[in-house]
Amino acid sequence: MRLLAKGAVALTAIAVLAGCSAGSGSNASGKTQLDWWVINPSSPTAAKAQDKIIQDFEASNPDITVKKTNRAVDAHKDALRTAIGTSAAPDIYDFWAGPGLGGELVKNNASIDLSSQYTEYKWESRFTEAALEPVKQYGGFHGVPWKLNGEAMYYNKALFEQAGIAKLPTTMDELNDAAAKLKNAGITPIQFGGTVNWHVMRLLDTFLEGYCGAETFDKLVTNQANWGQEECVTESFTNLQKWSKDYFNPGFIGINNDESSALFFSGKAAMALEGDWFNSQIKDKAKVEDFGVFPLPTGTGRMYGFEQAMYVTKDSKNADAAAKFLDFMMSTPVQKETLGTFSTQSVNKEVKPTETDELSTSWAGIFANAKGLYMNNDQNLSQSQTTEYWRIQNLVATGGLDPAKAGAELQKFLDTSK
Amino acid sequence: MSKLTATRLQTPPVPVPRQPPKKPLLKRLASGGFIAALPFLAPALAAYVVFVIGPMVSAVRLSLYEWSGFNTDPQVFVGFQNYVRLFTQDAVFWTALQNTVIWVLLSLVIPTTLGLVMALSLNRPIFGRNLFRSVFYIPGVLAPIAIANMWRWMYNPNYGVFSELAKAWHLGDGSGVTFLSDPKVAIYAIFAAFVWQIAGLNMVLFLAGLQSVSKELVESARLDGANNWKVFRHVTFPALRPTIVVVMVLTIVHSIKVFDLVVGMTGGGPAQSSQVLALWSYSQSFLQHDFGMGNAIATVLLAITLVLVIPYLIWSTKGNED
Repeated sequence: MRLLAKGAVALTAIAVLAGCSAGSGSNASGKTQLDWWVINPSSPTAAKAQDKIIQDFEASNPDITVKKTNRAVDAHKDALRTAIGTSAAPDIYDFWAGPGLGGELVKNNASIDLSSQYTEYKWESRFTEAALEPVKQYGGFHGVPWKLNGEAMYYNKALFEQAGIAKLPTTMDELNDAAAKLKNAGITPIQFGGTVNWHVMRLLDTFLEGYCGAETFDKLVTNQANWGQEECVTESFTNLQKWSKDYFNPGFIGINNDESSALFFSGKAAMALEGDWFNSQIKDKAKVEDFGVFPLPTGTGRMYGFEQAMYVTKDSKNADAAAKFLDFMMSTPVQKETLGTFSTQSVNKEVKPTETDELSTSWAGIFANAKGLYMNNDQNLSQSQTTEYWRIQNLVATGGLDPAKAGAELQKFLDTSK
Repeated sequence: MSKLTATRLQTPPVPVPRQPPKKPLLKRLASGGFIAALPFLAPALAAYVVFVIGPMVSAVRLSLYEWSGFNTDPQVFVGFQNYVRLFTQDAVFWTALQNTVIWVLLSLVIPTTLGLVMALSLNRPIFGRNLFRSVFYIPGVLAPIAIANMWRWMYNPNYGVFSELAKAWHLGDGSGVTFLSDPKVAIYAIFAAFVWQIAGLNMVLFLAGLQSVSKELVESARLDGANNWKVFRHVTFPALRPTIVVVMVLTIVHSIKVFDLVVGMTGGGPAQSSQVLALWSYSQSFLQHDFGMGNAIATVLLAITLVLVIPYLIWSTKGNED
């Protein structure tokens, strides 16, 4: 009996302690505890940089501690979905800013409008216009810009020379010609991993921007134009089929992007459509001087890319402390210190690229010359629309669907989906 | 009047035994020992209701709602709208259903036959019998996702085993080995991995069944001049019938819920050509954030499973009562 009583007391004590720690926003020492959920960093260096940001912040703010939780992309999405609206939700979460991803969370009241914090910390004057645009698109300010990534065409200099390509492509026709020359020289023109559908999607998005132009592209992805009636859509799908048949690495649809990237690093494929984060991968796996990068020659002048932002959750009891932490993280000294670790460009307009190598210099030019941004379509479209977009893209790429019917097939889905 | 009719007429009427009056349900349960057993059954029953029946009911309920999965988003009752969308507008659902049906049918034939053949072969006193039994059974205890990774690498068109074999046999540069890239072949390429995984498990079940085949009957059949085929056909096979039913049912259940191998090898691609119902249900709920549709697919899957498994349950219950 005495044992049972002791057990009951112990259980009660545990329950009380658990009650104190759950959802109160304070830890045992009475400090404010910020829960920060962030997607797994791309490299050990980036992970260390995140830890250092926390250490430095805690040193200058002894009354606040930051608890970081890293997860892989899909696990991060799932965890947020189940936690939002409950006491398990974090104070700050990392997410893509496009309407198909971050926008869905904003629509579901996951984050707060940070307008007052933008005024308090003068964030509007701190960030570049390109970085601010995605967080302003829902009205007010949802999220604080963290990373603005651009995507462009990396190429192998030796293979281009071997194929007789003297001038980098600046139009869609020149890009097609370059691919044909590479193929004629017995070189695989471009590498893609098809199991992750978003890799091949980058090329289709590029064709749509290139053949349809910026205005029609934007209308298509916002359901203001009919995919089945635009000639440029058929042209894009037709070109995708030609590229996948003639220019992609064989069996691309059965391997992932890491496997296909190995072909690029080892000189078995001449081009890779990648983001500025690819610089660090090249540094790790090959010689930087062997490669170059050029903007996608769509003719619209817009850069292809997307933004990740840090959002403060609606149910956070520590919104002020969260804003303080984000202010620290995006401050000029921290952004200078971490430049090149998370992305080649900073969202902070005071922080200029270091341009330590040719690739970084090229990226600085791509960002500087961009006349706006067109985002990856998995960010523009809703999740279900994206799944259908990928299905049709892959059907066309594997020869299972006539490119002339692809636009109408997608439109049929868009008309019935929400 | 025929003799037979006369005999029938002369036969005294058989007294029909009087049915005892039906006891009230509670008394019948008490006399059957059910009420006495209830306290012992209760914990397991409660766990079953909470962890099995509850989620099933919840899945069926959610299939009648539109919900994004967010706690902040209200669930909206839409009746059978999700089912209408599923059957009339979702092209992938029909591909997934077709693939699931193909998978079940192939599973009932290939790994089952293979398991039986291996069991019959390894039921004889041959050299290294236990080693072979272990080797064939090992794939069955590996995690399906590990098997998926292994087979994906084997199928890799650049570095895979099949690609290297093609090179070694001078059948090109190996890049033509695109089993997982071909929408018409991908589902069968994944199925090959499933056969590799499950055939050993079937073998063990058949081996267990073979131990119950009467040695005396086999011996008698041989003395009567029966050859190997006749012994199998008239003695072994009838004795194996209960095992065959168990293997069939387990195979159906394994096949219907196949998920990990498809996720790990193709993710349902290319272009959803290797999609199956369990994965499509997951994708709708957790990737496309449409829990109504996801649960509608899960309910369809549940209905198919029940249609296939309930006859077995009835049969096995009868067997126990007899």
